[in-house]
Amino acid sequence: MADNMIRVKGLNKIYGRVVKTHVLYDIDLEIETNSFTAMIGPSGSGKSTLLSCLGLLDPPTSGEIVIDGQSFSNINVNKLASFRNENIGFVFQFHHLLPEFTVFENILLPHWIKNGRPSPALREQADRLIDRVGLRDIKDKYVTEISGGQQQRVSIARALINMPKVIFADEPTGNLDRESGTRVLELLKEINMENNTTLVMVTHDREVALRSDHIIELVDGRICRTIDVRTSGRETALEMLENLSCVLPGHMIT
Amino acid sequence: MSMNNYEIMIAWRFLVKGRLQTLFIILGISMGVAVQFFLFSLIGGLQNSIIERTVGSSPHLIISPEDRKPAPVDTGSVHMKDYRPAALEERPEIFSWQQYVLELKKDKRIISISPAANGNGFVLEGTTVHPVRVKGLLEPDGPDIYRIGQKLISGSDRFSGETALIAKELADKLALVTGDKFILRNDSGQDISLITGGIFDLGTATGSSLVVLSLDRVRAFFGIDGVSTIEVQVADIFDAESVARKYSRYFSRVKLESWQKTNKEMLAALSSQSSSSYTIQFFVLFSISLGIASVLAIAAVQKSRQLGILKAMGTTNLSSAKIFVVQGFILGATGSVAGLGIGYGISILFIKAMGDMIAFGLEIKTVYLILPVLLAVIASTVAAVIPASRASKLSPVEVIRNG
Repeated sequence: MADNMIRVKGLNKIYGRVVKTHVLYDIDLEIETNSFTAMIGPSGSGKSTLLSCLGLLDPPTSGEIVIDGQSFSNINVNKLASFRNENIGFVFQFHHLLPEFTVFENILLPHWIKNGRPSPALREQADRLIDRVGLRDIKDKYVTEISGGQQQRVSIARALINMPKVIFADEPTGNLDRESGTRVLELLKEINMENNTTLVMVTHDREVALRSDHIIELVDGRICRTIDVRTSGRETALEMLENLSCVLPGHMIT
Repeated sequence: MSMNNYEIMIAWRFLVKGRLQTLFIILGISMGVAVQFFLFSLIGGLQNSIIERTVGSSPHLIISPEDRKPAPVDTGSVHMKDYRPAALEERPEIFSWQQYVLELKKDKRIISISPAANGNGFVLEGTTVHPVRVKGLLEPDGPDIYRIGQKLISGSDRFSGETALIAKELADKLALVTGDKFILRNDSGQDISLITGGIFDLGTATGSSLVVLSLDRVRAFFGIDGVSTIEVQVADIFDAESVARKYSRYFSRVKLESWQKTNKEMLAALSSQSSSSYTIQFFVLFSISLGIASVLAIAAVQKSRQLGILKAMGTTNLSSAKIFVVQGFILGATGSVAGLGIGYGISILFIKAMGDMIAFGLEIKTVYLILPVLLAVIASTVAAVIPASRASKLSPVEVIRNG
């Protein structure tokens, strides 16, 4: 098994054919297996785009992405889809559940896509997941009938159903009130610890970022610094984030 | 590996949850299918009735003696031949009719065969004479061919030596009722007295001056040694032509004419009616398909968020397309089955509303049931291909980014 779950080399992302928007510049990145990495940065810094590239949702313009030892340059979309289905869980800011389905069905969807009708054993596993995210009472409700915090917990359970190696979360607490946000974050951390799942999270919330193992800060489509919270400690990390503006090498402070 | 048809489940759920939209499109398809079914069965029924009225109660195939060309009369001169008709000529007859009848009876397609003797005569009423057509038939096949039994107004359809069956118009003109006597005169001026055994109404112009007697009676009365024609009815009337062709090769000195040959204009009219009906069907089908395609195209846009999510979770492009094709199929299948019910209802209502104004029933054949359903299902599925390809091209990241 590779030490690093994710390795990125020379990743560039350019949008548009006529008017080109260069979003990510020469990203080199390593993310440890079972770690919790937070990606922060001002809006427009490219953190969500980087997450989409890492999550194999958006192909990079150039560069190499290796996940769990497998390289993903020039792989056809169907292979990407099945890799995502089996190895990657997503938790989005707008939770993105299917309104046509109940809570339980939404959670089972990735399994349906992979294997079809779930076995009794799998339904039990889904029930355990539901208990774990605290949704037992609303299991058979349609997702339009439940609160935002509950919806986000549904999407976490959905991300876990196929027991993925990596979970990518894009501002999972961004749309929630403080209390719900804290619960969701706790849940994600627990899962990261207990399931040996690598967690990569985009956030603009420093408090949230400080609970991670590594912080990657992006500015203008480049990584300007990485902080190892485990070695530096939270206080130092906080100090760094608050007092030291991140400056890209070769750039002037403005 | 287990079968994985989650696309069907998703397609089904999308349709069920899209209540009003789904209902409208199913209604649209069913209306189209209903119209198709109605047209098919109406036109089918109408055509059957036309054919039935034209040839149902008459021979489907008539075997008559070969046409004779006037033989040149030798005037004695080496250079001249006179084509004047001969003063005395052999009456065209079929002498070996028993042989033909025997041979034809072996054919399973043929249900009735009757030799017939025909002649023209007069019925006398006071000082006036009414020209009539006299037909001698062999029981039971002869009267069966003309369905005299079913078209009997009074009396019985049996005829013996002295009893005759006469057409209703003739009976009305002569004020004859069953049991009355009347005098029939032949072309040589001989008279015989007959009893009206039954009165029938064939409903055709040619049948309105008909007097039907037994074969032997007519042969004797008109001095026919053989028979005038052999009349044949087949089980499936459209077999008549092929039966005629087959026996034309076997039988010499007679000609076989099917109803198709003698009713060419009618058949041409019927077939042009069919093709105009097919044209209507085509445009109905075309508009249904356009309707489905546009509704599903809108659905594909409406569901692009869901599709983006499904794709992020690992749904392949092919599966996303399948979701829409399956929707098209489900819509087509349910819509067309509902349409058959509606079409059947409309047909019944139509028949009821028209009452006596139409003299035919609807023809409901399995093909009328299967064909519109099959066409609608195929059209719906094909119509779903455009939104399906749109769905397959959708990039998940666009949807997710925009929330």
